[in-house]
Amino acid sequence: MKKVLLLAAAALGCTMIGAQAGDFSKAKIDVIVKATTSQYWGTVFDGARQAAKDLGLSIATLGAPSELDVAQEVQILENATAAKPTGIVIAATNAQALAQPIDAATKAGIPVVVIDSDANTKNYVTFLATNNETGGRKAAIEMARCIKARTGGDTGKVAYLTALAGAQSLNDRDRGFVEQLKSFPGLAIVEHRVGNNEASRALSDSEDLLTAHPDLVGIFADNELEGDGAGTAVSEKGLGSKVCLVAFDTSDQEIKFVRTGIIDALIVQNPFMMGYAGVWYALAAAHGVVFPKYVDTGVSVVTKDNIDSPQMVGLLDPKKYVLSPFLGAQ
Amino acid sequence: MSEGALGKAQEPTVGVSILEGVRHRLPLETYVLGLTVLVWVLLAIFAKYFWTAGNITDILRQVSIDAILAFGSLFPIILAGIDLSVGSVAGLSGVIFSMLIADAGQGVLVALVVTVIIGLIIGMVNGWASARLGIPPFIVTLAGLQGYRGLALLLSGGLTISGMPGGLQKFALSSVLHVPSLFLLMLAFGVAAHFLLAYTRTGRYMYAIGSNIESARRVGIKVTLVVIVAYALASLYATVSGLLLVARLSMGAPTAATGSELAAIAAAVVGGASLFGGRGTILGCFIGALLFTTIGNGANLLGINSFWQMVIEGLLIAFVVYFDNLQKRRQAGLG
Repeated sequence: MKKVLLLAAAALGCTMIGAQAGDFSKAKIDVIVKATTSQYWGTVFDGARQAAKDLGLSIATLGAPSELDVAQEVQILENATAAKPTGIVIAATNAQALAQPIDAATKAGIPVVVIDSDANTKNYVTFLATNNETGGRKAAIEMARCIKARTGGDTGKVAYLTALAGAQSLNDRDRGFVEQLKSFPGLAIVEHRVGNNEASRALSDSEDLLTAHPDLVGIFADNELEGDGAGTAVSEKGLGSKVCLVAFDTSDQEIKFVRTGIIDALIVQNPFMMGYAGVWYALAAAHGVVFPKYVDTGVSVVTKDNIDSPQMVGLLDPKKYVLSPFLGAQ
Repeated sequence: MSEGALGKAQEPTVGVSILEGVRHRLPLETYVLGLTVLVWVLLAIFAKYFWTAGNITDILRQVSIDAILAFGSLFPIILAGIDLSVGSVAGLSGVIFSMLIADAGQGVLVALVVTVIIGLIIGMVNGWASARLGIPPFIVTLAGLQGYRGLALLLSGGLTISGMPGGLQKFALSSVLHVPSLFLLMLAFGVAAHFLLAYTRTGRYMYAIGSNIESARRVGIKVTLVVIVAYALASLYATVSGLLLVARLSMGAPTAATGSELAAIAAAVVGGASLFGGRGTILGCFIGALLFTTIGNGANLLGINSFWQMVIEGLLIAFVVYFDNLQKRRQAGLG
């Protein structure tokens, strides 16, 4: 984490020694996310807004309402390119569809920082993201740990829920989870359901899973809406102390479920930092700074035990995010 | 205008239609009911935990909200219209309701009343625009599909709204004599809609307008008023399902019920409603919704791939509509 910020601070510091925030008042950075409809992307915007405030530049927060709407995101990016902003920060909903428009933006001389989900091109400044596969692996490890603590053993049936078909970041999470789970030979994956990124569908799917497999000991939900739905099902059926539920992201509902013992571990990314550092990097790149092609923003594990610790509070509630002093925030 | 003349234009009520079916043909919903029962029997045999109290309760809860949405969408379908906005209205209602509670600090009752009024107004505008302004309902409600979803996203900032009182979810999970309250509520709304369609003048007018709008006009039916009532009811039922979704998940989600207008229309059509108007029953709607819920539940219990589930649902719609069409052609001496 600190590394991400240091990199940005150092880069910016080198190029603009003595520069005051006011110097960037004409700079404008477009931040384009996958869907304006989730808390997660809201947090990316919060981070971007904080950076804009700290740097004294302006940003536009853009995105389609739904992650399903690839065409609209392409259009938003093309429109942004035409308007020639100082820089663009974008999360690619679809790796293939966004590749060419990102190439075009770079070709037009606009530095593009890709966040969260990669595109099939290398014509951008840097890719700033969670290593989703690592996140999935952590989920498997947490699930095994929880099952061990619950049952005293390391055997049992588990299932996992994918929020949406065809999203790279979700595929990576699932792959990490499935791969890592192989290191616990007693844990067998018996089910895999794919939803439509809707909590009520995730709820029905989870209910049915719990019915079909009364001896299920673990569920992995790979995003916040799946986590909301699965948590509601586990709580409805009163199986909080029996099923080890591990979910991605941090919706209000998920946090409540962690506190009430329904969700045993949340795999938490750092979307605030993606938005924050994304804007910094884009600005720095516009001033000629070169970045490594990939920067990992890290994943953390939140459980009932550490949910109130200072390190986690900022991750769970971006309003309480305390930035490192290197950037002179606060 | 005699009631008897109009009575001929309407689809007979279920009880009567079964009797008539002996002479002519059984209504489509009878076959679909048979299919649903068959699916239940097969699942009871092959899916280990299908026939358990817990699973049946889950199915009853799962079907309730979808069925209410389908009931609502039947009214415009009977008029040979369509309401594509019901999913978005459900989503918007959920957002308004939960924001009134969580952000404006209103009580559940106030929030409920305000949301229902807004829902009714939306429906009345839909009906008025299609009947009075003559804009095709497909277009009017397509605008609603987009616009009301957008409004839900705008109001909520795209975020889910939590902080609902615990009593709401408790209600969604409660049972009366082992029957889920949600299901009982669905039954109440179903019976009310059935009564309206089968036993009131307004209901008969709806079938009459759907069968032939010109002759309905000529016999003096106030078409505009009936159309407005039908769309207001569609919106009202959508609002109710939106509120129940909030109760069920204990949160308002601006994306709730996305795409469910099509599921509702599919349930109505599989249940014997005709998109050309004049035909369709509440019981058929319920059977259609139950069949889709059962397929979803069965696919989950049997571990059938989620994508296959979609294909099966698609095939089902195609098959039922083809079968219905075939029967009609035979009846007309074409087949």
